[in-house]
Amino acid sequence: MSAPARMLHPVQHTLPRDLLHDLRTPLGHILGYSEMLIEQMQESGREEFLPHLEKIRKAGNDLLDLMNNNLTSAEGG
Amino acid sequence: MPKILLVEDNEMNRDMLSRRLQRKGYEVMIAVDGQLGVEMARSEVPDLILMDMSLPVIDGWEATRALKAAKETSSIPIIALTAHAMSTDRDKAIAAGCDDYDTKPIELSRLLGKMEVLMGGAGGSSAAGGSR
Repeated sequence: MSAPARMLHPVQHTLPRDLLHDLRTPLGHILGYSEMLIEQMQESGREEFLPHLEKIRKAGNDLLDLMNNNLTSAEGG
Repeated sequence: MPKILLVEDNEMNRDMLSRRLQRKGYEVMIAVDGQLGVEMARSEVPDLILMDMSLPVIDGWEATRALKAAKETSSIPIIALTAHAMSTDRDKAIAAGCDDYDTKPIELSRLLGKMEVLMGGAGGSSAAGGSR
């Protein structure tokens, strides 16, 4: 299926409940630390790394969207 | 400065969330398992508890039930935090006595909003523009 077709007909993939949990935990670290560093750099005026940190945060949010929209728990919980 | 008890066994979650809350003006105390969480809640009487639910020794559901059953801790608001994101997880946390529920990954502004509602608007210093 082409990428545009996948967007029109999203497929729900089912994963074990614990695997979903274990995917979300490190993703939370990536998002949390990148957001914390972005805030600290903005406050301190040290903006040289901001574009890179924004890319890390965006990639994390894209991954979270993918998980939320395409993955469901095998146990329904 | 509002006092928050963070009950969390994952070291990176503890480090990240405690730093971010401290930067928003909260005093953060940490317990690394459910039993320690119950003991610290009794001794420190925090303004609010952030309770991970998958915890060693006793889990977050049992710890919440113990805290809500005890007179000296029953009025402390508890927000359940879990990386399980389904509605049944929310229902299970509320049934155990949690006052609210939030999912990981934590969206800090959303969590701060829930904390301030439960503490009656007694937020950290961020509302006054302060941060560290």
